[in-house]
Amino acid sequence: MKFIFADSLDHVDPGYDFLRDRYSEGRTPYWDDAYPHEIMGYAPYKGMLVSRGIVGGAAVGGKYTEAQAMRFRRVGAREFLRLDKPQFKELPIFGDCGAFTYHKEDKPPYTPEDTAEFYDDAKFTHGCSVDHIIFDFDESLKGFEGGTEEARRRFEITLENASAFRSATAHMSGRFTPMGVIQGWSPGSMAEGARRLVSMGYDYLALGGTVPLKASQIKACLAAIRAVVPEKTQLHILGFAKADEIDTFGPFKITSFDTTSPLIRAFKDAKANYYLPTTSGKLEYYTAIRVPQALENPKLIRLAKRGSLKQEQLVSMEKDALAALRSYDRGEAQLDETLDIVLAYAAPAVMGAPLEELPDAKAVKDLGERYRRTLSDRPWRKCSCAICQALSIEVVLFRASNRNKRRGIHNLGVYNALVNQLPANSDRNDSTQFSSDSSQAERNAHSSFLCSASV
Amino acid sequence: MTALNFPAIRARQSETHTVLSFAALASELQKFALIERVARDAEGALSGFQRPQIAGHIREIRDYLEKPEAILPNPIVVAFTNSVKVKDERPDGRCTVEIDTAYGAPGLVVDGQQRLTALGQVEEKDFQVFVSAIICRDDEELRRQFVLINNTRPLPKSLIYELLPTVAGLPRRLGDRSVAAEIAARLNYDESSSLKGKIYQHTNPTGIIRDTAIQRVIINSMSDGVMREMIREPDGNDLSFRLISEFYRAVQFVFRSEWEEHTPKTSRLVHGAGIMALGYVMEVLALLDGARTWQEFSRGLACLVDGTAWTSGEWNFADSDRRHWKSIQNVNRDIVTLAQYLIGIVRADVKRRRSTPTDASADPKPPKVASAT
Repeated sequence: MKFIFADSLDHVDPGYDFLRDRYSEGRTPYWDDAYPHEIMGYAPYKGMLVSRGIVGGAAVGGKYTEAQAMRFRRVGAREFLRLDKPQFKELPIFGDCGAFTYHKEDKPPYTPEDTAEFYDDAKFTHGCSVDHIIFDFDESLKGFEGGTEEARRRFEITLENASAFRSATAHMSGRFTPMGVIQGWSPGSMAEGARRLVSMGYDYLALGGTVPLKASQIKACLAAIRAVVPEKTQLHILGFAKADEIDTFGPFKITSFDTTSPLIRAFKDAKANYYLPTTSGKLEYYTAIRVPQALENPKLIRLAKRGSLKQEQLVSMEKDALAALRSYDRGEAQLDETLDIVLAYAAPAVMGAPLEELPDAKAVKDLGERYRRTLSDRPWRKCSCAICQALSIEVVLFRASNRNKRRGIHNLGVYNALVNQLPANSDRNDSTQFSSDSSQAERNAHSSFLCSASV
Repeated sequence: MTALNFPAIRARQSETHTVLSFAALASELQKFALIERVARDAEGALSGFQRPQIAGHIREIRDYLEKPEAILPNPIVVAFTNSVKVKDERPDGRCTVEIDTAYGAPGLVVDGQQRLTALGQVEEKDFQVFVSAIICRDDEELRRQFVLINNTRPLPKSLIYELLPTVAGLPRRLGDRSVAAEIAARLNYDESSSLKGKIYQHTNPTGIIRDTAIQRVIINSMSDGVMREMIREPDGNDLSFRLISEFYRAVQFVFRSEWEEHTPKTSRLVHGAGIMALGYVMEVLALLDGARTWQEFSRGLACLVDGTAWTSGEWNFADSDRRHWKSIQNVNRDIVTLAQYLIGIVRADVKRRRSTPTDASADPKPPKVASAT
């Protein structure tokens, strides 16, 4: 089971100055930045996925700048993602259309032909057909029954596009694997979609629209699909949001899945944003500590605009919180005093009001307890990844992109190791094989070690 | 010792206000001048007037101030209503100003709050700045001064860009624009340029092609295209200048009747959208064909001749997307659509030429543009 990382220009400045909170002198974004596989010293995934919606273009405004999007197509995905080094040459690069970026449209803004051209220009190794998301999932429906008129319309669009996409990519055979995307409103309809894709000649199918589904619903779909497609048909789960439940997906013989969840959780999840593996092969989650930038945090700016907090005061609280945390990390400050200083500043940023105006709020207490656990356990000391080793406590500070993304990249490393360890992957002999009993010295010896708890 | 004394000079401007100028250390300023940000109390009464600080702007000023050659000739404007005395005034205006800080800072910063905040963050040196002090009758008058002073009109962008190349030590954001502006200016004035006199600039209002459009082509190429490597060569500026000049010479040659005597209103070729979209075509030809001269670019552009609608007719972007020639606007979406359409044709032509044996001999493998890594 391959973990494919869905990228969205997730790179960091390797020379970022954490004490002054400044980018390295003369840094050019993207060019001087490092992708996860560059900063970690190994690829914490088995491939990357780039969505056409993220690249952007005339139809959908993406995340790339116009000049970057043009260059992506010109030089190709591998060179753009800097996976053109010998050690990454074998990593596949998947493409999809990013159906969520156009789910409100009547039909997809892309044609199978221009999508094939996009994949061909950018030299993707794998690419998904042009699908259209179907909502209103109902797992109680049997077979091909049910489905609104709109759902059935989208179902047909998805399959017609898949058929045209196969023809449009026929000339790329040998250097490109087309993937037929399954959309449906029930396990049965998905199975029907899969059956029809197989009869078109697809041997690699991608299950789409799973983001709003519960893990049990996705499993029901996979079971129904597996029942109708040949044993050798490969399955991919697109945009797999239930990444931390991946260990329960073994029975469905998934070839690959893509997710961005371990990275995103580092700065989108309120609680579980720092991953640490346990000795039993599971994940443990910690809450990163918020020390936002006093003059840039939108909630704090709002408080300043309303006049309830002075910016000069915020700047000094920010300074104190950072100083306290660093002293604590050096063993020069006590846990309780550190926590008080940190909470006084974090509370307004999290709850949008000064601490005095939040008397006994349960939320503050909970926050305090989560921060206490993070500080007293010092998980960053238990991880030997390049990022935690270099950053120490900074990695658990929830503060601006360079810390948050680094924490996310650390999470990718932990997660990748977890996936490698799954029974489904136990027979694979990857260079990044997880080894829970390797000594510290051995781990330091290769940079392609994994973040593992030294407990 | 709560009184601060400064030798000052008074300017006679108004019978009702006192206006003074003096120099003070940033640390002293922080003792006698407050930044009152605008806020409302529980009853909705307005107090203060300054907007919140803009972190990026402050950072830029701070970076500058940390340099040894930094100067800050324009004053921080501070208004007072009380706690200020003018002493020992001489007929020529020289005097001493005494500020009493016993009850906190009596002055309010009317202009220069971002500068003052940045000054406060420069730890290595205590900078002396000019202070223009206004002594106002009351708070209302003080707020009026704030509005008057801050209601200035920014300089036109086009003039700023044109001045940029003559200014050193700019923040990075302006630094890239500066190189682009320099090359664009050279394209407009160099005898050998194919665009001589054709670019609109503040100093060349009769130019046809928007300076910002040609600058965008240059900026894009420097950030993600062929000029990124080129500009680092010892003669990088010359190479880059020649590349752009040669490319648009080819454009004029291939689309002669749609270029000559036209304005952006009569031809989309000389319009911002056409200029910028073609900039991306230049990148493709430079990469896939290794094109550098106008003849090489012309050969790559020739395949477009029958597929364009610069001055009439319609663009056939897709079966479902046909556009009247005039509907192409200077917006990203149109530029990208147009560029993708043109690039599609050009790429197909490059492929065809490569696979044709007769052409292949005349067309040696293009030099691969070095990757950035």
